[in-house]
Amino acid sequence: MGHFITSKDIPANGEHLAKGGLKLPILISGLVAIVGLIISLYLLFSGNAFNNKPADINAGRFAYSWLFAFIFFVSFPLGGCFWLLLHHLSNSGWGVSVRRVMENLATVFPWMGLLAIPFLFPEVQQHLFEWMNSHREIMGVEPSKSMSILNADMYANATKELHHGTGTFDHMLYKKAFYMNLPAWLIRMVLYFVALGASMIILKKISVNQDHDENPGIKRLIRARKLSAAFLPIFALTVTFLAFDLLKGLDFKWFSTMYGVYFFAGCALNGMALLILTTIVLRRMGYLNQIMSPEHHHIMGKLTFAFVVFWAYISFSQFFLIWYANITEETSYFLLRNTENWNIASIALVIGHFAIPFLLLMRADVKKKPGLMIPIMIYLFVLHALDHYLIVAPERGPSLTGGKHLFPTSGGSVIYDLLAFATVGSFFLWFYLRSFTKNSLYPNRDPRILESANLFN
Amino acid sequence: MSTQAKRVYGYLAEFKSASALYKAAEKVRDAGHKKWDCYSPYPIHGLDHAMGMKKSILPYLVFCGGTIGFITAVLLAYTTQVVIYPTVVQAKPANLFTISAFFPIMFELTILFSGFTTLFGLLALMQLPRLNHPLFESKQFGRVTDDKFFIAIEARDPKFAKATVKELLEDAGGTNLELVEEPVS
Repeated sequence: MGHFITSKDIPANGEHLAKGGLKLPILISGLVAIVGLIISLYLLFSGNAFNNKPADINAGRFAYSWLFAFIFFVSFPLGGCFWLLLHHLSNSGWGVSVRRVMENLATVFPWMGLLAIPFLFPEVQQHLFEWMNSHREIMGVEPSKSMSILNADMYANATKELHHGTGTFDHMLYKKAFYMNLPAWLIRMVLYFVALGASMIILKKISVNQDHDENPGIKRLIRARKLSAAFLPIFALTVTFLAFDLLKGLDFKWFSTMYGVYFFAGCALNGMALLILTTIVLRRMGYLNQIMSPEHHHIMGKLTFAFVVFWAYISFSQFFLIWYANITEETSYFLLRNTENWNIASIALVIGHFAIPFLLLMRADVKKKPGLMIPIMIYLFVLHALDHYLIVAPERGPSLTGGKHLFPTSGGSVIYDLLAFATVGSFFLWFYLRSFTKNSLYPNRDPRILESANLFN
Repeated sequence: MSTQAKRVYGYLAEFKSASALYKAAEKVRDAGHKKWDCYSPYPIHGLDHAMGMKKSILPYLVFCGGTIGFITAVLLAYTTQVVIYPTVVQAKPANLFTISAFFPIMFELTILFSGFTTLFGLLALMQLPRLNHPLFESKQFGRVTDDKFFIAIEARDPKFAKATVKELLEDAGGTNLELVEEPVS
């Protein structure tokens, strides 16, 4: 620990990124995002609805790639939301130095909603969500008139048909129609991004206003704490039902009550991992050195370690209950993910996502060494991607080929996955990096910034 | 006059406050003493740094204990449930890949063995339990459980010499200096 930090060490206007500091990465990610988006939109909407030409198979394959990339990159801002809300709610002193980074990460979330827009269109939905096809078919709705499903009377009659109609419709779709119906699904998708996004923007605004107040006091901190108490349920509902609607909905016959918290565990873990990586990079660039010390990285490393264990606990609990109960509706998820080569990925997840980071992050001195933490955090991201790939990708083959094949047609899918990954990733990076150029890198007028700067644990 | 043979245990000095003890500990540390200790009614944050204490080897023992517990659980579950007497329920197989069914056992035994290693390793490293301590010979030392702070530099210390140690403790702000002697049994 260096000398005791006093208010003289903290610049009156905070630290700002030097002009053009991140210009190149922002420019590159922006260009990749634009080019990628154009190709992606073409691929997503190139196929015609409800026929089986090769073009549709391609569009279907890419729809899954898009879902995988979207859900992977939306998990980081969701983690940022969680840590920001927790910081305010727990009245934490140590986190003040890192709070602006959390805010920057959390406020990317509403913008990620733009990438979810393709999921609102039947051309994309038809490949991903079989239950929507059943609903549309029973209503006789043409995909081009997608918005007519918002007619309530028509929909009420149609859901009855799900039960009493002839054909492949089953009782489960009828029973689930109160939740899994198209109008409710669309409204929920919009609400997630508007409600939680607005919450995060409000919290960030309070924090940024504090930077320019000559005599800030504690009134903003108390307001942020009270608001966070109201926003935390919004976050919990969003993260749970976003996972239900986008991921669990891939197979409407499957049940798991652990699913929301399973997705949350990954969000919180990798949100914190990204916070660590970002602060290390900023410190290497010469910022945050007054108000952050290895002690902060120690605490953040401990939280990462805790969530490595939490993720393992939750994902194992989900598996274990299903394995023991051995009920057909529940086992389908793991049967699919243990068939043929998916088995390797499933086992790799147990060792790679739990055992290895558990051992790596165990020692206190590892958490305090940035040089070691950078590769460990990147490793966590890779395994997190594998985790989400294993959630999304195994559904692709059976869904697109009517259950005939485990993998859709020959090869090519991985290239689509990489394209979607690069597009969504650079889109995310563009918003994330740009947010650093706008405000001070830490809340320099926060009453507890000195407490945080002199952290010792 | 007592005919009991005695030997010097060490020098004891009293300090008024936790911060006085902290500063004195830094001085004793810098003087290069090895066999000495601080005594206080409550834990003092950062005192281990002030005393220049090395990190305990206990974590390594606990890691070994946990690993042994893990291996025990794997062998126990695998031998009984796969090799000797597979319990077939709902036609589920019993082989290496059903090992996840035994995770709770692995978890429990890992925790149990590391818990035991922590407790017994700690007791062993602290040389506890013990029936008596030479410092109990000192009357004033009783107040260490009440409101006083003490430093005792032991005679076992290679740098121990009555005069210099006394001087050091006085310099560091110690009062009521006492040469503690323990009876030789």
